[in-house]
Amino acid sequence: MTIQSGAVALGSQRKRMWSRFQRHRMAMISGALLLGLALLAVAAPGLEILLGVDGGRVDLYQRFQLPSLAHPLGTDELGRDLLVRLAYGGQVSLSVALVAAAFSAVLGTLVGLPAGYFGGRFDDILMRFTDGVISLPLLPLLIVLVAVDLEKLGVPADIAQSPNAGLYRIIFIIALFGWTTVARLVRAETLALKTRGFVRAAHAMGANEATVIFRHILPNVVSPTIVATTLSVGNIILLESVLSFLGMGIQPPMASWGNMLTNAQDLMWSAPQLAVWPGLFIFFTVISFNFLGDGLQDALDPRALN
Amino acid sequence: MGWRRHLVRLGSAACAAVFGFALPPSALAGGDLIIGISQFPGNFNPNINAMAAKTYILHMARRPITVFDADWRLICMLCTELPSLENGRAREETTSEGKSGMAVRYTLKPGLKWGDGQPITTEDVAFTWKVGREPLSGVTVLDFYKRILSVEVHDKRNFTLHLDRRTCDFAEINEFELLPKHLEAEAFAKPAEYRHRSLYETDTANPGLWYGPYRVTDVVSGSRVVLEPNSLWTGTPPHFKRVIVTTISNTASMTSNLLAGGIDYVAGEIGLTLDQAAAFRSRYPNRFKYVFKKSLVYEHIDLNLENPILKDPRVRRALLMAVDRKAISKQLFDGYQPVANSVVNPLDTVYDPDVRKVTYDPSAAGKLLDTAGWKTSESGIRRNAGGKPLRLQLMTTAGNRTRELVEQVLQSQWRDAGFDIRIRNEPARVFFGETVTKRKFPAMAMYAWLTSPAKVPRGQLHSSMIPTAKNGWSGQNYPGIKNTQLDETLDSIETECAPAANKMLWHRLQDLYATHLPALPLYFRAEPHIMPKWLKGVRPTGHQYASTLWIEHWRGNKGGGVK
Amino acid sequence: MIRFLINRLGGSLVVLLIMSFIIYGLIGLMPGDPIDEMIAANPDLTSEDVAHLKSLHGLDKPIMERYGNWLSAALGGDFGYSRIHARPALEILMPHLWNTTVLMSIVMALSLAIAIPLGVAAAYKPNSFLDYGANLISFAGISVPPFWLALLAIIIFSVTLGWFPAGGMETVGDGGLGDRARHMVLPVMVLTLHTVGGYTRFIRASMIQTLRQDFIRTARAKGMSDIRLLIHHALRNAILPLVTVVALGFGSLFSGALITETMFSWLGVGKLIFDSILGNDFNLALVGLLFATLMTLIGNIIADIAYTWVDPRIDLAAGAGRA
Repeated sequence: MTIQSGAVALGSQRKRMWSRFQRHRMAMISGALLLGLALLAVAAPGLEILLGVDGGRVDLYQRFQLPSLAHPLGTDELGRDLLVRLAYGGQVSLSVALVAAAFSAVLGTLVGLPAGYFGGRFDDILMRFTDGVISLPLLPLLIVLVAVDLEKLGVPADIAQSPNAGLYRIIFIIALFGWTTVARLVRAETLALKTRGFVRAAHAMGANEATVIFRHILPNVVSPTIVATTLSVGNIILLESVLSFLGMGIQPPMASWGNMLTNAQDLMWSAPQLAVWPGLFIFFTVISFNFLGDGLQDALDPRALN
Repeated sequence: MGWRRHLVRLGSAACAAVFGFALPPSALAGGDLIIGISQFPGNFNPNINAMAAKTYILHMARRPITVFDADWRLICMLCTELPSLENGRAREETTSEGKSGMAVRYTLKPGLKWGDGQPITTEDVAFTWKVGREPLSGVTVLDFYKRILSVEVHDKRNFTLHLDRRTCDFAEINEFELLPKHLEAEAFAKPAEYRHRSLYETDTANPGLWYGPYRVTDVVSGSRVVLEPNSLWTGTPPHFKRVIVTTISNTASMTSNLLAGGIDYVAGEIGLTLDQAAAFRSRYPNRFKYVFKKSLVYEHIDLNLENPILKDPRVRRALLMAVDRKAISKQLFDGYQPVANSVVNPLDTVYDPDVRKVTYDPSAAGKLLDTAGWKTSESGIRRNAGGKPLRLQLMTTAGNRTRELVEQVLQSQWRDAGFDIRIRNEPARVFFGETVTKRKFPAMAMYAWLTSPAKVPRGQLHSSMIPTAKNGWSGQNYPGIKNTQLDETLDSIETECAPAANKMLWHRLQDLYATHLPALPLYFRAEPHIMPKWLKGVRPTGHQYASTLWIEHWRGNKGGGVK
Repeated sequence: MIRFLINRLGGSLVVLLIMSFIIYGLIGLMPGDPIDEMIAANPDLTSEDVAHLKSLHGLDKPIMERYGNWLSAALGGDFGYSRIHARPALEILMPHLWNTTVLMSIVMALSLAIAIPLGVAAAYKPNSFLDYGANLISFAGISVPPFWLALLAIIIFSVTLGWFPAGGMETVGDGGLGDRARHMVLPVMVLTLHTVGGYTRFIRASMIQTLRQDFIRTARAKGMSDIRLLIHHALRNAILPLVTVVALGFGSLFSGALITETMFSWLGVGKLIFDSILGNDFNLALVGLLFATLMTLIGNIIADIAYTWVDPRIDLAAGAGRA
């Protein structure tokens, strides 16, 4: 394999990747399922109009309705349409997971790539720092961070008090701890790439450091990063549900699958369906992201080329 | 479905095989009673760290001198009769500093003994008072002990307390938690170390620490407390061979344990919330006995009276009129948590049945808001002449599911009336530690407080009790109500003890509260007890003193009777 | 090697020191205190009482001063009293630590006992029915919300079937080995379902890589039987990276499993630390968290040493062992 970042090879390479991905049946199914879930989440307002219901409106006389034409999945403990609420919950859960995972990936690359590329003392400090963050006991620290007073940390009052503050806080916290996996991965990948022929060739041809990093190293660490990020999206959705379980996740009235599931716990004997649906949504979403990541790995892993 | 039934049968057969030999043939009088509660008491010293879980357990093994009974009347538990001005046990006097005070004389019942056989005497009373008023010992209600200027010991059983003020509730010394001098004196030698060296912490199973019908015999920290009959108890003999109090913090686990037989009884004082219990009951209406006792926990929304919108009493009234509290009570709580009209519970002796009651009337609320200058706009949110929206922030404790539910109902109903309500919840310690106590909530704060019967809400309503940075955030008048009539009423209610005059003042207090609405009264909570059908004699109290104060009257045998 | 160990242990101590500061600071950043919550729950408590109790627990002093006091005492071996339990922090921590270690060790042993044969079998015939099955189980275990799984287990096995107790660690008055084992079944089951997937996938991946290598092909060409080949050659090579993964997970043995412990009322470290943080019990929270961190660091060192076994070319002293 010589210099392979040329545009000529790219087209056929993509095709080969796609065909490899297609062979991974579970990944294909998962991809379709996720697409469907995302569509449902995006379509939440449309769903409300279609069903003629208001997802946020409480009706004390319509609690725990069984599925009907007006309410395909029935209603929840406050008489709100369960399907619409699941759709809105999906918006929150999915966007928290995707945004937090993306932030983690960017942060991780920012740490891992220079560490691997420049090496030496610089690498040592960055990796020690990464090790330190990894050895932090995650959950207890999350709890502390969830309760920390934002205004004391100098966040402007109007942001700290906005209805979305809880959302930003959770995304921030997850990204703060989530970047380490990507950082280690990118560093290892960079270390390996550094010694490869095409990078050496680029150096020999007089390319400067920036060119090498951005044109030759970065494009090649993207694939493993995408795989790792896909896998972490699922984990973050689970983490959000755990935070909700501890009473520290997304706060009502904003719905998330995590807080819907947690709230349903108390009603598990009288209205088990309220726990079943969000539980299944979380389960299928997370497992789909896992299969998708698996499929992407098979498709993108350059070693599979050999 | 056949296989499933088969499995169930198989399971119960396996169970019988495992348990059949493990359990003794069902005992005749009193086997084990396993009670589930949702918290574990961190420590066991009755004077240090007030905590519902601890009170619940310790009431089986210790008794206060005076206490409220299940009918919310003050009674003697360790004393022979309640002091009063009439029976001469109480008299007014002047303190050494020249202020008006009182002297109150009690007599301990004869034959009281600590669990190690030592008699309970006035020596213990004097010792307890010494520990209680020592700032370094870490006693929770230091203020209460400090109000007692001195303890005068007459003989082994008679003592007089000299109080630093004159009030109508002078006879009430429920918080006086007796300590055994012969065991605790050594630990108290260094007061600053007392809270760590107290035998209640280092040797909890020491029989000498206890004097109730049961005594603590085993503690597994974080998990359970085992109590066994105290052989030196002289009252009604307790029935159960063992009482095991188990802590299960997760609600779903608690109900599962109840169904699986891991626990017999979920205590109402500190178990499930009413809506959780009601949901459970709707699924298993006949399997257990449900006792939902109305309690003195007052659930309400404090209004910040400095808020420019809430300053207007018409807006406050409109807020209350625009919510259907009856529907909330009926639909969410099966009607067991009645609508509150003021700070006084309808079951309290000082309750005024004629207090002004605000009923659900959205159109009247709308008119009131119109006159207050808040007109309906296209979006449905009302605006004032300056175009400012009628927007208020509603806060409560995060993770409290019942409150979160009610909050969402309120938000939705207020939305219909043209209010734009923004919800922002905080973890309980933040909410109580900063937001409420330092009056940082911009508009509304929903929470509850526990009162005791006929307790004067001076700390919550008197204008001198508004917490400020200047007074070190002292006082609980979080809404910040300043009303001279209210102040006068509160001042005289504590000292005007003649029944007729006192009743008038309470009437006035409730009327003023319902008129000025410093807070929106929501409902009084109820404590839901879920007990086995065989358990008899439990009388829930609904106040901070638990039903376990009368545990010696509890009867019943597991598996006994029906077969 | 010895120089490496000394270096790393020294580094770990520095990390611990920094950690203690971070934890102390973070807990200190949480506003409010449980004392504040007491006032709404006790009509006889006054604001003066609250202020007094706060100063008694030193909460009115600046955080740096309190940290300094804690640190100097801790360096002298005195970790102080737990504020919630009024007992020395270490005395409270130890039994919980033991409970967690017992539970988690069984879970880890069981996970490996399932994951190794499953992973090997899946790798032996990739894309077979068995491989798909193993894959599905692995992913399913990782993807279930943990408390949902616990709830499901309780409903099925204790409420409906009545086979196992729904929580707790022993029956009062019994507490024999059999009784304790019965109480352990459900939490072990739930936790194992969660961990087994990761290990299975790891073993499968490293087995597939090993099986591709030349020496395996040679052995196969020489007519070595499949079982012998798998066990003696491939597995031996694949298991070394597993050792490092297990070592990295070593720390988690001691930080507990908060959710499972809560659902099954298991007296482990996870719940203890959680409650102590929320209860502003600085001493207990610090002891618990620092111990968990220490164990993670030790696990990392073991993992690094294990790398040298895998690949003797890695020079530990040069610090290049962490990929």
